[in-house]
Parts: sequence; structure tokens; C-alpha cells
Amino acid sequence: MRELSVLVQTIIGGIGIGSLYALVALSTSMIYRSMGLINFANGSIYMVGTYLGMIWYRGMVMGLQFSYWVSFIIGILLCAGFGVVMERVFRKLADVDLRNMLLGTIGLGFILDNLMIIIFGAEGFAVKSPVSSKPIILGSIRILPQNILLVTVAAILVIALQIFLTKSKTGKAMRASAQDRDIARTMGIHVNQSNAITFAIGFGLSAAAGILAAPIVYVNPAMGSAVGTKAFAGAVLGGLGNIPGAILGGVSFGIIEAISAGYISSQYTKGISFIIVLVVLMFMPSGILGEKQVDKV
Amino acid sequence: MFLELEHLTMKFGGLVAVDDISFSVNKGEIHGLIGPNGSGKTTIFNMLSGYYKPTSGKIVFEGKNITGLPAHKVTQAGFARTFQNLRLFKSMTVLENVMVSMGHLAKTQLLNVMFNPIAAQKENDLFTEKAMKLLDLLDIRQYAHNLAVSLPYGTQRRVEIARALATEPKILLLDEPAAGLNEVETNELAEILTTIRQSGITIFLVEHDMKLVMGSCHEITVIDYGKKIAEGDCDCVRSDPRVIEAYLGKEEDL
Amino acid sequence: MKKNPKTLKLILFSIAGIALLIFPLLAKNSYQVHILNLVGIYMMLSLGLNIAMGYAGQMNLAMGALWAVGAYTAGLLNQRLGLSLWLTLPCAIVAGGLVGGFVGLPALKVRAHYLSIVTIGLNEVINIILVNETKLTGGVDGISKIAKPALFGFKINTEQRYYYLILIAVIATFLISRQILSGRVGRNFRAIRDDYKTAPAMGVNAGFYKLLAFIISGCFAGAAGALYAHLNAYISPDIFEHKTTLFIMTLTMVGGLGNLNGSLIGSFILPVLQEYLRAIQDWQYVVYGLAIMVVVLFVPGGLMQVFTLLKPYVTMLTSRFNKLKSGTTVGEDSNVS
Repeated sequence: MRELSVLVQTIIGGIGIGSLYALVALSTSMIYRSMGLINFANGSIYMVGTYLGMIWYRGMVMGLQFSYWVSFIIGILLCAGFGVVMERVFRKLADVDLRNMLLGTIGLGFILDNLMIIIFGAEGFAVKSPVSSKPIILGSIRILPQNILLVTVAAILVIALQIFLTKSKTGKAMRASAQDRDIARTMGIHVNQSNAITFAIGFGLSAAAGILAAPIVYVNPAMGSAVGTKAFAGAVLGGLGNIPGAILGGVSFGIIEAISAGYISSQYTKGISFIIVLVVLMFMPSGILGEKQVDKV
Repeated sequence: MFLELEHLTMKFGGLVAVDDISFSVNKGEIHGLIGPNGSGKTTIFNMLSGYYKPTSGKIVFEGKNITGLPAHKVTQAGFARTFQNLRLFKSMTVLENVMVSMGHLAKTQLLNVMFNPIAAQKENDLFTEKAMKLLDLLDIRQYAHNLAVSLPYGTQRRVEIARALATEPKILLLDEPAAGLNEVETNELAEILTTIRQSGITIFLVEHDMKLVMGSCHEITVIDYGKKIAEGDCDCVRSDPRVIEAYLGKEEDL
Repeated sequence: MKKNPKTLKLILFSIAGIALLIFPLLAKNSYQVHILNLVGIYMMLSLGLNIAMGYAGQMNLAMGALWAVGAYTAGLLNQRLGLSLWLTLPCAIVAGGLVGGFVGLPALKVRAHYLSIVTIGLNEVINIILVNETKLTGGVDGISKIAKPALFGFKINTEQRYYYLILIAVIATFLISRQILSGRVGRNFRAIRDDYKTAPAMGVNAGFYKLLAFIISGCFAGAAGALYAHLNAYISPDIFEHKTTLFIMTLTMVGGLGNLNGSLIGSFILPVLQEYLRAIQDWQYVVYGLAIMVVVLFVPGGLMQVFTLLKPYVTMLTSRFNKLKSGTTVGEDSNVS
């Protein structure tokens, strides 16, 4: 009985962190789907998004200070706007081959990381949680309120996104242009515009993930690199370009990480998670929900 | 028997692309495979060349079961193929494209060509000489040092055939070699096919151009919806009511 | 007339050769020589990556870890068994090749971006092992006091002396790379890069050549690792992290993928540029990132592409120069252009 509750608690912790990965993975996957671009700067964008929100919460700009949730909204909106601007840069990168895309987005991440160091300094800051840090106790299971908050807000965002994509006219246009750019163009859908919206959403989701994570991690310009790689691994695990896949992959990665940290070895956590992704890919080369590629010749 | 297909079946998910097809190809002949679009020709072609693994059935070549072998093993067994939509190596000259196909015949040890400049040079010289002969055969010697993909369509088709022949096959599989060629080029192609056959290589031809098929093939197999509907020589196939129906139904003339 | 460019080439080569030979004597201090020694090691790494990524098209994003395998093999063999560089070097090459082949195994199943995340992951795994297997690897403290080599009693114990060792190693690596790529193996690499689906129909065993590409890059990284371990005398896991892999990839791509000269140029320019950029502190990385973006967006073929673009102008200039020298007037063909 005790063992079971430890396991449940571990999994709950994994889902919490996993929903952060899922949000960033979603951003990676949506951008990939819309223009075939692999964004290796997604970790940096997550970090920039965190700053864009937390500078208001901490009153770092002209003494203006807002509550956590107002900062949350401002951060998402600013980062979404940043996404619209960046779409113009990424549009160019989407046309080059994979290796150049990789290098280009890495270069971009490099610029963002170091600009943040120049502006805010390399040492970061801690952020106070908007909810109580006292764990909620359910029988023998202890859950941190911040964890519940993470999962709830992430779930709300994902559901809202799904409704937007399937019900709204813009969302439908976006899905159409993701499926076939040329056909979408002939149907009168403005592909660049719908890509810009994809970027706004993707960057907004990354910012949301970062701001939600801020109270449990230490906010600093280097915070993005590990999350970026893990989210990418999550997106690949679920199947690149597949929205439910990104969520599934991100959350699974979080759970795998938590279980291997709790039960196998905390030092080898990261290694074990990657090995599991590798094993899954060996059997499902396009990820869990990714479209199976038929070798057409 | 030279090449025998026994009850070959290929399913993609629930879809049956090729359904229990059996026929044989005789040594030294030109064998045609025809059928309306989507009838399963390319699927058969891809199974023969090792690109698809048949769901069931057997492919027997010179008495050996080669079903499900990977593509490079099939090539080593004596098969060569071309691709419908020109797939030449884009960073290579015509000569290099042809030389790639000779690699699997090489007698020099791998480590020897990697680290011994003299052995490597000798092998390259030998390959170049052999490749040049093939380029002569297909009348494209003057393009030897041009980037293959920069050449006109018809010429690229010839490079594809030269590249396939360079593997020194016993049987050459051609996937719609006349697609995109004009009448003059198609006639030249027919001549090339005859020359290749005369050198002792069997040809298996998937083609839409009926004039080419009827003019060159000794034996024809007709398929529709993944099933064999007729086989025999040209006259026999041409007069078969099921063949006429299959083609008329799809408004293609024989 | 035909002789001219050849003699010119010969003269340029001799000048470059002499410059390379006497550089340690001209250098202001041994730090400058040290930087150049590192440049040489990067060149070896970059040549290895170029063969895998540039020629065979395989996303090998574990070069940092493969470098570590070479360095740790050499470091441990020296520390535990007292072997000299002459023995640790071949062992490191073998170890690098073996691990390289292991890292390449997933390439048989997955490709492109999927392969890149898998190799990034394996880079992490190897690094985590280095950090945590403290008993074997010394953990985060790494291995220190790795002995400098000696040749027949002549101690190669200064940066200047080590410089010549690395010079020889780089030349050897370059010539071996050129040799490997000039024949059957090079053609098969390019075939699987250009079109991995059609290559098998030409009898190319794609899986074997993918693995071979990884093994070769591993061997080169292994050699670079041994040289680095004995040069630096100290190695630790943080030197070989993911960011190092990215740095090696960056120099290779800035120089030019699929071009061996590109590896040499990229490995020289970027580390030297970094030294000069130190003066602007934090901004150096921003400038560095911008430089990458410029290359990717405007000259995706790297600096070697710039040279190819400039080539017609150079030929034009030299031919005009030659004509002037041989007495014909330039005006004769000026109406042609």
C-alpha cells in the first residue's frame, strides 16, 4: 500500500513537469507542422517567455508591478507578439535543408540566450508561487498545489487550443495550410498569415510553460536549454507534427523522468529518459502517433 | 525457370494492392507488364526489386528464393532497376552516377581502397573504363563529366539505364522508361532495349506506351485491380476481351 | 600558358607550408601556439563530422561525446597503466570507432531530425556516465596529470613542440579523409546522402555505409581525443558536453559541409575569431550567433561557397593579368563581355 502511494505520487509529480514539456513540445510540433521547420531554439524561447512575464511580477520594468496572473497574461501576449516578428526570420530558415535549419535555429537560440544575459545578467532570481506551498494531503498522498496548478492551466490551454483549431475559421484555415500549403493557397488561405498565428500560439504556449514553471525552478538565462531538448524529445516521441502526440510525448517524458529518478537512479535520470526515447523510436521510427512513412520510390 | 512469381500478394493495411499473382519470365526475352493506372504494376515492380516485402507468396530467381531480400541483396543477385521519376544522384556527374553501381562488383578489399592510394586509383581507373563503355552504348559519352541532374529529361533517362546496366544485371527492370519521352526518343529507346537484350540481359518492362510494349515485348502480362487478367504474346493479349474491357472501361486505347 | 596556374599553386603551397612550419617561432607567446594546437584538434574533429554529415548525410550530433571517448581512453590508459601517447593513440582511435559505430546503430532505423535527437541523447548519456562513474572516470573532477609524450628521449613537453605533432596529425587525417572519399567509399557515402532510397538498387548496402560513416567520425574523434588529453594534461566531462558538439558542427558548417577544405577553414576561423571577440565580453556570443545566421541564410554552403562564387572573378582577373603579361591587349575580348 505504501509502495503504491509512493508510485502514484511519483507519477503525479511526473505529470506536473511533463505538462510543461508538453506545452513546449506542442509549440515545437505546431511550428514543424505549419512550415516543416525544426526549432532548436524552442528552449530559448521558453526562457525569453518566462522573462517577458516575470519582469512584471518582479517589478523590473519602470517600477511597474503586477500580480502573478496579470504578468502571466502579459508574458504570453508579449511572447506571442515576439513569435509574429520571429516568423519572418524562421520563414527564411524553413526553406534551407535540415542541417542548415538546425544550425540556424541553434544560432538564433544562442543570440537570444546571450542577449538575455546582457540585459538581465547571468544570475537569475527565484519567484514566489501564487499558491500556497503547503502540500495537500489525500490519504497517504501529498500533492503540491503548484503541481495541480501546472496541470490544470496546461490542460485549459490545450483544450482552448483544440477548440480554436477545430471550431474557428482561422483555426480551420491553419490546419488546412499545415496539411498542404499549395492547396491552401488556391483555397484563398493566406499561408504566411496562418503561419504567423501558429508562431504566436507556439511562442505563447512556451511562455505559459515558462511562467508556470518559474515558481518551481530558478529563473535564469540558461534555464531553457535542458527543457528545450526534453520537449523536442517529447515531440519526437509522440510523433513530430502531431498535436495529441506532442502532449502524450511531453507528459510521458515527464513521467519516465520522474519514475527513473525515483526508482532507478537520480543521477542517470536524463540518460535513462533518452534511452527510452531511443528504444521507442527503434520500434516506431516516426514516434508513437506519427504518421508511418511508406518508402515510396 | 528463370524468374518466377508464385502467388504474390501485397496488402497495405486493409487494401489489397496485388492479389495472388503468378507468372514467369523467360530468360533472354523482353517481358511486358501492363495494366491501367493503379492496377498494381509499380507494387509488383517494388516487390521484385526488394523495396516491398510481399505479404505472402514467393519470388524465385534461377532456382533461388529471393523473397524479402533487402534491395541491395536483390541487386547483387542480378536484378537492376530504373525509377519512374528520375532519381539520379544529384551531386554526381554522369560518370560518377554510373560508377556507384559498380561498387558491389568490386574485388578490392574495402580497407585497401580506403587507405591504399594505388589500389584505389586502380579501381577507379577500371570503373571509369567500364563506365565509359556503357556511356558509349547509350550514346552519352559527351556528358560524362556533366552533373547528371543538369541534363535534359531524355538524356537523364539514358543515364538511368546506364546506371542500372552498370550493376551487371541478369535481368533489367524498367519502370515506365518511355514516360515523358517524345516519339523520336521512344523509338531510340526501343532500339536500346533490343541492343540490351541482344547482349543477353532479360528485360522486364512496366510501361504505358502501348506502341513500345507491342513493338518490343515477347510476352505480356496484363493486370487490373491487382489481379492477373491475361497473358501471352502481343496478338493474344490485344484480342483478349477482358483486356479490352479493362482498358475501354478506363478510356485508354490499346 | 597552362603551366602558370600550376606554378602559382606550387608557390602558394610552399608559402603556406613554410608559414605553418615557422609559426611557433613567430608567435608572440605560447598561448597563441596553444590556440593553434586547439585549432588543429578541431580540424580533426570537423573532418570526422564532415565525412559523416557532409558526405554521408548522417546527423551525428554526438561528436563531443566521441571526442570524450578518445580523451578518456588515452587519459585512463596513461594514468592507470602508464602508457605513452604512442600506445594510447591507437587505443583511442579504436575506442572512438567502436563507440561511433554504436552511436550510429539507430541510423539503421531512424533518420534526419529523428536521428539528430537520438544522437543528441546519446551524447548526453555518455556525458552522464563520465560524470557519475566516479571510480572509473574521476567524476566531475576528471583526470589530471596526463603525461606529455616523448620521441626517442626527445620530450614533446611544450606547446611549440606539440604543435608539430598536431600538424602531422592534421595533415595525416586530411590525406586519409581525401583518400577515403576519392573512391568507392566516398561515392557510396554521397549516394546514400543524395538519395538513400535509390542507392540500394545500385547495390549499395546503405546500412553498412551509414555505420561506416559513424565509425570513421568516431575514429577521428578518438584520435583528436588522445591528442587533446596528452596536450592539456587534464580532462573533465564539461569539456565534452552537448555545446561542444554544436561548436564542432558550427565550425564544419561555417566552413562548408561536403568539402574537406571547408573543415580546415571553419576550424581555423571560428576559434581564432572567438579569441579576438573576447574583448567585447558578453556580446561575443551574440556576434557569433549573428555570424551563424548570416552563413545559414545567405551562404548555406559555408565559406567554401563564397570561394566558389568568387572563383570566376579570380580566373577572369588572372587571365587578364596573363594576357597583359603576354602582350595581347585586353581590349580584344572586351566587347564579348
